[in-house]
Amino acid sequence: MGNQSDLAISRREFARRAAFVSAVVSLAPSDLLQSESAANALPAQQPVNAPKLSPESQAEVQSRIQAIFAQYGTRLSDAQKADIRRLATEAQPPLDRLRAFATDNGDGPALYLKPLMEREKKSLPRPAAPKPPAAPKNS
Amino acid sequence: MPGEEIFYLSVSELAKRIESKKLSPVDLTQFYLDRSQKFGPRFNAYARLTPETALAQAKAAEKEIQRGHYRGPLHGIPYAAKDLLAVKGLPTTWGAKPFANQVFDYNATVIEHLNSVGAVMLGKASMIELAGGMGYRFATASLQGEAKNPWDTACWTCGSSSGSGAILAAGLAAFAIGTETWGSIICPSAFCGVTGLRPTYGRVSRYGAMALAPSMDKIGPMARSAEDCARIFAAIAGHDPRDRGTVPIDKGAFTYSPSMELRLRPLKVGWLTNAWKSLEPGVAKPVEAAARVVKKYFSSVKDAALPLGPWEEAGGIIVAVESAASFRQLIRSGRVSELNDPLGQIAGYVNEQYSAADYLQALKLREIVQKKMDSLFDTFDVIATAAQPVPATPLTMNLETELTFPDPLGGIGNICGLPAMSVPCGFTEKNLPVGLQFVGRAGDDFAVIQAGRTFQAHTDWHKRHPKIH
Repeated sequence: MGNQSDLAISRREFARRAAFVSAVVSLAPSDLLQSESAANALPAQQPVNAPKLSPESQAEVQSRIQAIFAQYGTRLSDAQKADIRRLATEAQPPLDRLRAFATDNGDGPALYLKPLMEREKKSLPRPAAPKPPAAPKNS
Repeated sequence: MPGEEIFYLSVSELAKRIESKKLSPVDLTQFYLDRSQKFGPRFNAYARLTPETALAQAKAAEKEIQRGHYRGPLHGIPYAAKDLLAVKGLPTTWGAKPFANQVFDYNATVIEHLNSVGAVMLGKASMIELAGGMGYRFATASLQGEAKNPWDTACWTCGSSSGSGAILAAGLAAFAIGTETWGSIICPSAFCGVTGLRPTYGRVSRYGAMALAPSMDKIGPMARSAEDCARIFAAIAGHDPRDRGTVPIDKGAFTYSPSMELRLRPLKVGWLTNAWKSLEPGVAKPVEAAARVVKKYFSSVKDAALPLGPWEEAGGIIVAVESAASFRQLIRSGRVSELNDPLGQIAGYVNEQYSAADYLQALKLREIVQKKMDSLFDTFDVIATAAQPVPATPLTMNLETELTFPDPLGGIGNICGLPAMSVPCGFTEKNLPVGLQFVGRAGDDFAVIQAGRTFQAHTDWHKRHPKIH
């Protein structure tokens, strides 16, 4: 078996993938203020084995964590908050790879999955038409 | 109780006996119910047995058959339905505590289809909570507890159709209905040594099924052979106006006859060289042997490679966003805290944070990889590889930290809605089943079924079963 790109997600099935994916959220300034205070109240240490992120990606992770804690912080234990920090951090590299894939303005998103079925892509081969009887040579 | 072999007969064989009136559907149902009551709890296989419903359906089937009204190969055949399919008047728990008392007043379309062909529902199969839609770390992520693998009860069945896999391997039903958003039919089929078909997206209606990621959710059969899967698929496939994800009428239905000659359409197989980073040695050996079988009995076999790109990432984002939307109420209300799994209790909060722009980027990538895969299927009828790179994992394993490998074929196959089949292809030294996977072009479910049939015509791995005492 050959090697798949090392950039591939190191996770087995979607159930767990679903846990690692997240993205930046647009925060209104007032939300940010609240969330900063919420996040500051927590230990902000980097998760062990955290992926290396660019400063921009790191900032994005922080804003995501802040958004979650601002909205849901009161219902989360410290252990859960630490887990969320880790999940949000681990979610960033896949997101960066997704965004780095070049797409054109005209590339259409598959808004609702429509599998490319054979009959949609190509016209069905027509059954061979019966050969007309050979015309008599002397007619 | 009759000998164990009857519980492992294929649908085709049971149907012959039922049609010829040598086997009573009522007796068969009672045998399976007795066995399920005895052994089901050992494997946490069922969410609920429904003996009254089952016996009523079996009696009706028997009466009809006695009168000469035989409906076809599923008439009087007992099966289990994953507990995310609505069955009128019965609890449908989705495997999750917050929905433990949920009851629908209608049947899922799949259940209606199976009712119409006279199949007998024994009960609801256990499953991973919310089919794993909120993420999970441990096999215990289920209202019914960890599903134990009948081949080794210290091992897991895989998820999320975990009960369906256990039921089939333990001989507790003749077939089961599973669902897959990403891996949930193929993986349990491989881990449990049964045959599973993940149909093309949209071939089987999801009406009445729990929505996880609506643009990726699929329903399919798990059974004893490719032929059985084909028969069941023929009964449940078809357009449904109540599920806007189903394909049009002319592309939805599937007809199958065992008399279809296997050599009628010689299959060109692409053997994938980059589907898995590596295979565990116990898996590699049977898969290498399976490759030799494929080379011998298929018309052509050549190396093939999946296109490279962040397709798994795209799939992950699609699942995350859609599952966060599907379970928005659960997340916002805080009732996710009632889920069993520690990851499931919090992952929804993270998944909710995705931006629409990132989701649309993922959908753009889906469109791109759909075209790339369609081109690959201009060369090959099916592509093949190990169903999983590892055998059944220990029940106690932390899936998040101890089981990490890329799965590009699972990602691509599911975001493109491609049909796939896992067939048993051998065993590890510890006697755990290993699966071989065939994947076909969207809409060409027949090709993966034909590939499975061809493989099973020359092997007998699908006829092996664990000893259950």
